[in-house]
Amino acid sequence: MAETADAPSAVPPASAPDDVLRVEHMAKRFGPVTALRDVNLHLRKGEVLGLLGDNGAGKSTLIKIISGFQRQDSGQMFLRGKPYEPKSVDDARAKGVDTVYQDLALIDELSVFHNLFLRRERVLRPLPLLNNREMKREARRALDEIGIHIPRIDVAVARLSGGQRQAIAVARTVNSAADILLLDEPLAAMGAKEGAQILDLVARLKAEGRVSIIMILHNYVQVFQACDRVSMIQDGAIALDKPTSETSVEELTEIVVNEYRRARQAAAQPPA
Amino acid sequence: MASVAQDPAARDPGGSRGSAQGRRALPGWRELGARLLALREGSIIVIALVTAIYFSVNTSTFLTGDNFKTLLPYFAPFAILAAGEVFVMILGEIDLSIAGLYLFAPILFYKMNTSVGMSLVPAVIVALLVCMVVGAINGVFVSVVGVNSFVATLGMLFTLEGLSLIISKGTPVATPGGQPPLGTFGKVFGGGTYSELIWAVAIVVILQVVLTFSRWGLYTVAIGSNKLGAAEAGVRVNVVMIRNYMLCSLTAGLVGVFEAVRSATVQPNPAGPNEILFLAVAAAVIGGTLLTGGSGTVVGALIGALFLGVLKDGLILQGVQANYLLFYTGLAVIVAMTANVFVGRARRGTITRG
Ligand SMILES: Nc1ncnc2c1ncn2[C@@H]1O[C@H](COP(=O)(O)OP(=O)(O)OP(=O)(O)O)[C@@H](O)[C@H]1O
Ligand SMILES: [Mg+2]
Repeated sequence: MAETADAPSAVPPASAPDDVLRVEHMAKRFGPVTALRDVNLHLRKGEVLGLLGDNGAGKSTLIKIISGFQRQDSGQMFLRGKPYEPKSVDDARAKGVDTVYQDLALIDELSVFHNLFLRRERVLRPLPLLNNREMKREARRALDEIGIHIPRIDVAVARLSGGQRQAIAVARTVNSAADILLLDEPLAAMGAKEGAQILDLVARLKAEGRVSIIMILHNYVQVFQACDRVSMIQDGAIALDKPTSETSVEELTEIVVNEYRRARQAAAQPPA
Repeated sequence: MASVAQDPAARDPGGSRGSAQGRRALPGWRELGARLLALREGSIIVIALVTAIYFSVNTSTFLTGDNFKTLLPYFAPFAILAAGEVFVMILGEIDLSIAGLYLFAPILFYKMNTSVGMSLVPAVIVALLVCMVVGAINGVFVSVVGVNSFVATLGMLFTLEGLSLIISKGTPVATPGGQPPLGTFGKVFGGGTYSELIWAVAIVVILQVVLTFSRWGLYTVAIGSNKLGAAEAGVRVNVVMIRNYMLCSLTAGLVGVFEAVRSATVQPNPAGPNEILFLAVAAAVIGGTLLTGGSGTVVGALIGALFLGVLKDGLILQGVQANYLLFYTGLAVIVAMTANVFVGRARRGTITRG
């Protein structure tokens, strides 16, 4: 592990008057592994923030903390200016935060429409029985609206392709009532056309102005295409936070390469 | 975006009437067969039917009302036990402690009635509540603490069987409310000829509806299929798991009381229950519930239990020696399971797992 003094100077807490979400001094360890050391992040209303960083940088960990799935060791969050301490995924969702996880969190044995409505099932009142008919109808409408082509919504998702599964996971989150969407590598398994479709969807959501989005992407071309601003996690802290208009693929690459060189040098030097 | 036209043929793989009619000689049978095999319970339905037909042809007594009454205790209790066990098995877990509860519940019922002085129904209710507490403990160990369910419930099995021996001092006693002439209590709680059958059918129907048409059932499948994913989606995994263990314990305790009333004796001997445990699990597995979780059917478990019952009854009618009974049962279980595997593969089409 690099010494703290060697670490790049982290971006201090930044904020804007129209922030919907603020993350301050977030830290999280897994036993000996420090996933997040001191992360400061903010998300403005209606913007698409690209969260960047190498494999294992802690991006997914940060997302899971915001989504209410994991608890931080220290650090605070603020949602629309008020302290935000999600007690569970349900709690976060009730407060308007919904997530596409990197592993998609799809249930293979359940049908497409049951997956789309997992935890938001429609029930027949007064009996607490599933209203499958309504869920199917709504699922079909939601998928059509989003522009995702799934031939049959009553088959188990195990039968879908990787890209189709990802589309279902995205549709589930977009279709929720949430106004803060966390998308952890939503394009990873998608073909060029499907990926473009999801980015179109993100652009459309942005144009509507209702939702704010944090999106993890590894492809810089897609980052510049879809994001208003980027935050890059490095060594457990934010190493860069800039509007995409003020940075470039070269600068982002430079940061990553420098980090790599620094780590090599540190490894080459004999311990003091 | 090009919306997908809803093609009715695509939604009905069993065969759409119009197009298929001309080609098939016996569309009814073919279709029935295809539909049957498309069901998770399909293979066991076929196997149970074939077995029943075999014994009907080969013995003069199988298809009689009297024999049906003989058959009932061979399957009804197993169906109830298996129904509860299915809810745990779909989670990808197992509950071995049902044999312990089967033994423990009637002893508790007896003590509540005789030593504490409760009347029959409250005594049963208290016994069953204790069973559910035991189930909750199982559930906490498996879900919250994270002990392997086989080991956790095996420990609970021995604990309960030991406790039963300690409390009863190993002596059989007469079941309260189970002595002739039977009162209403005895007739309802297992003593009446059709009591266990009615309970079994009612429990199976209710639990199948819960499994297929309720959020509880949906979450049970979700946890068994992808526990982490279910948790990420917001399913309260521990709550559902504990609840399912409580259900499983409840059905086990209930059957324990039924059987004690039916046989008029509270037998504190672990040998019988242990065999019953394995037959119940076998019924669930034969019926189409995966031991690996993620998929299961309560109705299938009932039919699995029926198959095991028919087999035992039929073999006895055929005059098979008692010593051969277990041997044939073992072979039949293997055959039924093998058929399940093949039919399952055909049903999933190209998708093969493991
Ligand atoms: N549940 C966990 N238990 C132990 N270690 C964990 C756990 N989750 C994450 N980590 C560790 O924390 C670090 C950050 O992981 P994280 O998944 O957040 O990375 P990431 O930035 O999302 O990477 P990727 O781009 O590969 O998805 C890694 O070193 C990982 O091994
Ligand atoms: Mg990740």
